[in-house]
Amino acid sequence: MNHTAGLQPLIAAWLPQQRWFGGKGRDIESFELHALDHLGDATTIWVVDVGYVDSTTETYQVPLVLHEHPVDSLEHVLLGTIGEDGGTRWVYDALHDKDSTTKWLEGIRDGRDSGRLRFALTAEPESIPVAESSLAMGGEQSNTSLMYGDIAILKVFRRLQPGVNPDVEVQEALSRLGAAHVPRLLGHVESTVDGELTSLAMLQEYMTTATDGWELAKASVRDLMAEADLHAEEAGGDFAAEAARLGIAVAEVHRDLAIAFGTSRTSGAAWQARTHAMRAKLDEALRIVPALDEVAPGLRALYTEAAGAAADGLATQRIHADLHLGQALRTVHRWVLIDFEGEPMADIATRRAPDSALRDIAGMLRSFDYAGHHRVIEATGSTPQLAYRAEEWAQRNRNAFCDGYAEGAGFDPRTQGAILRAFEAEKAVYEAVYEARNRPSWLAIPLASLHGLVEPKAAAS
Amino acid sequence: MTSEPSAIRREPDWFKRAVFYEVLLRGFADSDSDGSGDIRGLQSKLDYLQWLGVDCLWLPPFFMSPLRDGGYDVSDYTVILPDYGTIDDFKAFLDEAHARGIRVIIDFVMNHTSDAHPWFQSSRSDPDGPYGDYYIWNDDDTRFPDARIIFVDTEPSNWTFDPVRKQYYWHRFFSHQPDLNFDSPEVQADILNALRFWLDLGIDGFRLDAVPYLYVRDGTNGENLPETHEFLRRVRKEVDRDYPDRVLLCEANQWPADVVAYFGDPNVGDECHMAFHFPVMPRIFMAVRRESRYPISEIMAQTPSIPDNCQWGIFLRNHDELTLEMVTDEERDYMWAEYAKDPRMKANIGIRRRLAPLLENDLNQIELFTALLLALPGSPVLYYGDEIGMGDNIWLGDRDGVRTPMQWTPDRNAGFSTCDPGRLYLPVNMDSLYGYQVTNVEAQTRNTSSLLHWTRRMIHVRKANPAFGMGTFTDLGGSNPCVLSFVREFGDDIVLCVNNLSRFAQPVELDLRPWSGSAPIELIGGSQFPVIGELPYLLTLSGHGFYWLRLPRRAEDVSS
Repeated sequence: MNHTAGLQPLIAAWLPQQRWFGGKGRDIESFELHALDHLGDATTIWVVDVGYVDSTTETYQVPLVLHEHPVDSLEHVLLGTIGEDGGTRWVYDALHDKDSTTKWLEGIRDGRDSGRLRFALTAEPESIPVAESSLAMGGEQSNTSLMYGDIAILKVFRRLQPGVNPDVEVQEALSRLGAAHVPRLLGHVESTVDGELTSLAMLQEYMTTATDGWELAKASVRDLMAEADLHAEEAGGDFAAEAARLGIAVAEVHRDLAIAFGTSRTSGAAWQARTHAMRAKLDEALRIVPALDEVAPGLRALYTEAAGAAADGLATQRIHADLHLGQALRTVHRWVLIDFEGEPMADIATRRAPDSALRDIAGMLRSFDYAGHHRVIEATGSTPQLAYRAEEWAQRNRNAFCDGYAEGAGFDPRTQGAILRAFEAEKAVYEAVYEARNRPSWLAIPLASLHGLVEPKAAAS
Repeated sequence: MTSEPSAIRREPDWFKRAVFYEVLLRGFADSDSDGSGDIRGLQSKLDYLQWLGVDCLWLPPFFMSPLRDGGYDVSDYTVILPDYGTIDDFKAFLDEAHARGIRVIIDFVMNHTSDAHPWFQSSRSDPDGPYGDYYIWNDDDTRFPDARIIFVDTEPSNWTFDPVRKQYYWHRFFSHQPDLNFDSPEVQADILNALRFWLDLGIDGFRLDAVPYLYVRDGTNGENLPETHEFLRRVRKEVDRDYPDRVLLCEANQWPADVVAYFGDPNVGDECHMAFHFPVMPRIFMAVRRESRYPISEIMAQTPSIPDNCQWGIFLRNHDELTLEMVTDEERDYMWAEYAKDPRMKANIGIRRRLAPLLENDLNQIELFTALLLALPGSPVLYYGDEIGMGDNIWLGDRDGVRTPMQWTPDRNAGFSTCDPGRLYLPVNMDSLYGYQVTNVEAQTRNTSSLLHWTRRMIHVRKANPAFGMGTFTDLGGSNPCVLSFVREFGDDIVLCVNNLSRFAQPVELDLRPWSGSAPIELIGGSQFPVIGELPYLLTLSGHGFYWLRLPRRAEDVSS
């Protein structure tokens, strides 16, 4: 049952149109596919190597299912047909086919190991909801996630990278610790791809009825902006108590990560090099965002100050590495952090590297800035008063978050002001480049933050 | 002597489906023009209550009392305060209520009596007499040091010196309310006899006031002791044996996790049938203020399950508000953290206000709050007058501000009494917003778009759907934190409730796949909504809007 030749053109046409395809706009030279393993008679996990003209390659995971007849409910994920006459098969994305997707859960429950495909069970078999049918969730950048009822979520990594996925690694370790602020890992799937161990999918507890922090923060800002003249602490939708609880949760996750993966210390020289890298990124950004000129001298001074503030090195540990409000889910019991994958574009070794916990805090502080100001960007007829209140909301919740973190961690991140600000600046410079390229009207948010960072006010964190 | 046959049938679950209505005898209707409401007055309004859809009336204390604590200071357990009428009046009222299918429960204060009660007078003057040990006496005021003082504003100690007996007596509440000594078999027997007296008259149950404090023991804080539960089990056993279908509603102003103990054995439920769920109301208030479902979702997730034959009682307003002091043990609890920091929350919840003024007479919010009251798990308890959006009179003070006469008509004394206006026990509301000339039953009866008609419709919808009273509760979460969505399910009756806690219009996407193929039907108007499919179900709600949607099991149920 080798359909490789027939499938090749279908995948070549279909793959570049997928949202999770990372090579959009690049010149593709080749598609090479091979079958990783079969799941039952009709379903096969294909691995597709995409070769680009610049001689780089990317590897994608493409599970497909073949049906003997067209299936109406799958029409939106039809790749095409192969074969002729009586042998015609309709080819669909298997992650949308409920009969196919059950096989992932059965494999995990049974700890199946075919030699080519290894399913690992990390919880009790009864916790795997094999009886639930799956629903593919849309709109993801680098994965396809399937929800099984409101019990579990299977994240299928589309773009494959050699090595154990950091999300799998972190959740497995923290689940074993019984950590309260991460979802429980139920199982995962891995294989050897091109000679290297590679994570293919992970199954985790679904945070039922949860909402992400970004949505909650936006609701709070909306409430404040609708008031005539209330201060942030007077508004009904005040978020500060939630921000403080989130700070406590992040501190506890950092503590758990330190227990699970240990702590280390970078040398003063390594930290120096790190601040030089921040400078280099600034120089690069200046070519794309001329408006950064105004703050560049201040930022360089800040990086120098930060370098001096940790001249004899900096405590490091495993961190989240891409923390923002959208990665925090408010459940009815507590805040839970998700997506420990790190920056999806970086290679796995970089994503797993220890770093300062302050980097996560800086990421969250940036997110509060965005939440506070998003209405100013979106609203027509923005007024100075609106901007003032956006800033007030952001400051209030940034401080509340740091208060909570200090309570949970026993140390106040604001006492390491220069280093924290440097991490924030690094992130804001990255944002400036991103916004200049993709959403120019949002550029004002990172720019304003950078102005604030180079002229710190007394109360600002 | 029964004038009409009772419409009450044997129905052990009745209290789980019932809509309760708390009515102050003094404030409802005055039959004899003395300025104060009475039993005959209430009887004359039974048709109105039946029309509204009320299933059970709850009458706060109307026993003989010096009225230093709203009648919760009882000086005779088997005599009605003459202001309200006679035992014969009560019997006639009860028969008329039952003839309309309306049950009646009454307040019963077990923990203490008034110091004017003959038992106490005898106990203080004759320590060795038959009532000598009916109360808890001690030579000094140092015993039970771990029992907190509940009314810290007025009472320096739980002990007060009696100059007659020359001993201290124990009281958990006011010093004029000595605690009964439940270690005395005679006290137990007398209390049981008093309960039997009312049950024999035909009442349908009791709201048991201040039950956690019945017993006190050295080395304890005197709350929730095993002896207290044992006595409640004894009461329950006697009620079940001799008076089927009567209910015991426990007032324990505590956190739900602690209150469940008053349902008794988790498997059989052998203490109280019902208990108030106090935090629901402030949570609703907080959720609307924060425009977030979490205050409600969280308390529902923290509420333990209760025995099958038990039910929570929930309310928006009554005279038993949750006081912040009651929850300070839960230092890290959501509500405490939020309340303590929000001056407006602190100011509004501690003070006794009626619902309408609390919500600044915003009809959308009043309707949303009422819809939540009628849809969340538990039997709703309405407070008289809230169905027409009555206001309060803050100049009368905390206690009396919400006890002004019911506003029936725009006529003199709001149609409550024909006495001289100066003779009224409290003045009727006359302000421009909530005054009786604007806000009254007569006007709202004529106007079918009034709050009164709306409330009545909602009550009737609730009663037509057993899921509200008997069903399971499942929080659906959803994409929008401003929208609280939950499903109540009882057999084939499945109701989806979607509530927008925000002032602004909101969309919400819900995962309704478990009901895939069902076409929701809006419960008030009967409109059919699009069939539920595999994709997230999108609903849009106006500011403070809500939906009650019935989910028929199969699509074909709809077409018939």
